[in-house]
Amino acid sequence: MKLLLKGGRIIDPAQKLDKVGDVLIENGVVAKVGGDIDAGGAEVFDARGLVVAPGLIDMHAHLREPGQEAKEDFASGTRAAAAGGFTTVCSMPNTRPAVDNAVLVNGLIRRAELEGVVNVKVIGALTKGQEGKELAEVGDMLLAGAVALSDDGHHVNSARILRTGLEYAGMFGGLIISHAEEESLVEDGFMHEGAVSAMLGLKGRPAVAEDIAVGRDIMLAEYTGGRLHVAHVSTAGAVELIRRAKARGVKVTAEATPHNLTLTDEAVIGYDPATKVNPPLRSQEHVDALVAGLKDGTIDCIATDHAPHAYEEKDMEFRYAPSGFAGLETAVGVVLTGLYHSGKLTLPEIVEKLTAAPARVLGLEAGSLKAGTAADITVLDPEAEWTVASEMFYTRGKCTPFEGKRLKGRAVATVVGGRFVMRNGEVCG
Amino acid sequence: MTKSQVSLRGRDILELQGMSVPEMELILDTAREMKNIIDRDIKKVPTLRGKSIVNLFFEPSTRTRTSFELAGKYLGADVVNITTSASSVVKGESLRDTLLTVEAMGVDVIVMRHEAEGSSHYAAKVVEPVIVNAGDGQHEHPTQGLLDMFSIKEKKGGIAGLKVAIVGDILHSRVARSNIWALLKLGAEVRVAGPRTLLPRDMDRMGVQVYDRVEPALEGADVVNILRIQKERQQKGLFPTAREYARIFGINKARLNLAKPDALVMHPGPMNRGLEIAPDVAYSDQSVIQEQVKNGLAVRMAILFLVLMGGTKVETTA
Repeated sequence: MKLLLKGGRIIDPAQKLDKVGDVLIENGVVAKVGGDIDAGGAEVFDARGLVVAPGLIDMHAHLREPGQEAKEDFASGTRAAAAGGFTTVCSMPNTRPAVDNAVLVNGLIRRAELEGVVNVKVIGALTKGQEGKELAEVGDMLLAGAVALSDDGHHVNSARILRTGLEYAGMFGGLIISHAEEESLVEDGFMHEGAVSAMLGLKGRPAVAEDIAVGRDIMLAEYTGGRLHVAHVSTAGAVELIRRAKARGVKVTAEATPHNLTLTDEAVIGYDPATKVNPPLRSQEHVDALVAGLKDGTIDCIATDHAPHAYEEKDMEFRYAPSGFAGLETAVGVVLTGLYHSGKLTLPEIVEKLTAAPARVLGLEAGSLKAGTAADITVLDPEAEWTVASEMFYTRGKCTPFEGKRLKGRAVATVVGGRFVMRNGEVCG
Repeated sequence: MTKSQVSLRGRDILELQGMSVPEMELILDTAREMKNIIDRDIKKVPTLRGKSIVNLFFEPSTRTRTSFELAGKYLGADVVNITTSASSVVKGESLRDTLLTVEAMGVDVIVMRHEAEGSSHYAAKVVEPVIVNAGDGQHEHPTQGLLDMFSIKEKKGGIAGLKVAIVGDILHSRVARSNIWALLKLGAEVRVAGPRTLLPRDMDRMGVQVYDRVEPALEGADVVNILRIQKERQQKGLFPTAREYARIFGINKARLNLAKPDALVMHPGPMNRGLEIAPDVAYSDQSVIQEQVKNGLAVRMAILFLVLMGGTKVETTA
């Protein structure tokens, strides 16, 4: 089986490639990338005017298996990923029960093969039950194929546990992903603390809570030599702490979400639960600092923090609604509209944050169009205009702060292992 | 926009932040007529006969609920009170379904008190009947704000140019937020004061002067509005002891003397005498605390009348 993507702008930051040309796929792998390749019987996809990029990788998604299938499962979650242009998606372990042992990791890897239309990588819990008290069997999970460890959803409150985790997981080269918010400063907080929370009367989650947590976690990474990845960075202070840590050689990486990069806390005015998320949407100066950090490489990746919830859970008073919303199907549009069309980042920069960078952070053999690698490819139309309508989503989490927004740019085809899993927004396979 | 063009018929009353000055003035003018009814021997008028009002209270409340209930009854409407738990986890029914159930009974107005901020905004989106916010968490309490405006206007003749000090727990106070928006729109100079732990961060961005000691806020004030201190704030560690609060932030005679000699003393109730307010201040000649209660009834009558009938003339024949 052969497929030729013809005449697109090929952007492959891993190979520093940005040129118009063809990509030939044979037997599920990239056979050749070049100027004008003869079809020779291959199916031809006309990519003129489009961007051909390595398959996008989302290193932070909540696919909700096992136990919370009313919110999402691997079938719906990977279809949402395919629709959004992602060929690899990482599943966070804050499930019921938490993914805190190798049996569950193995089970999920098998479930992903059975149900998934894109690649799923499993992230294991750092502590048993994600309770932050005792280390889970992290060595066993890493050997079983877990790509990272995280207690995402909560900060690892105990500095001792995080220290032990960084040391112990470090033996296996394991990466620890931190949800960095100092709990005592954010409990019962619903939004960014500032002028808008003062007006709305909602208790705040101050930026300093994230700064403190990021600062402490970096110090422990530096002390232990372990690898730390800071999830969903949202504050100017955290960006600066990570910038300085990287400069002195600490093994720290970071991601930011499309929503924290483009929305401010003013979106909460009106109390729409679709705007409730942890860490919260922050004020403009934080958004500006985050974009600057993304641009200068302090923030390595863009990750969605796709966090779907069932309708009845999110249809609530703001205070009671759970935090988070779907992100896989809006990420490309939001990022291209808010960062590319606004002139803040170039297309190659954005593609790098969604492909080579997460592959590097996670140590995946993905995120590039190198000949001989699996043909995971995303075709983007940066100029396509569309309106967000959650009822059209593949995810079960039909809730987004971008509802009704006009976006410019979207994925028009997703190829996994040489086969189309999405064309023109329709998931196939 | 002149007052005669303004109509509140069918309008949800959710917050004062979004209410225009002519709309506020229409309510205050109508309330003055309503206040006459309260003093009559026979208080009932048939203006809202055949209309039904549900007081849907998810938080315990005596004065606000009674005030709305009598406001509806004096105007001839049928009023039903529902008191329930806010949490759908406890009661097993979502707010949407509770609202839809009330709506299905054909009610015209739902007066809602709820512990969650924005809950009346949510209600207004979900159901057709007019929603009157009787307090949504720490956000707003618009009828309290309007009754405070009425009380100030009645004693001072107007609001523009007055120096108004709001003192106490600003952070958790829906009364403070409604007062601030109304006072700013009507041209007052607004000062808020309280311990820094009970002041929201960045509150100055709302356009008020913020003080963490009460004395400078009281200096030359025309109105002193003293907010209730909830005992649980002390338990949460936001100030050390009730004793220390009373000593440093409580409004006593000596502190009140910093304000103008004819400064009004207000309190939304219920009072903690000896904590945020000294008894001799609460019962002084400057105090309008009891009058506020009566004005609250008049303002709520005005609002129910205006959202249901839309006009400015009250039918007063029994």
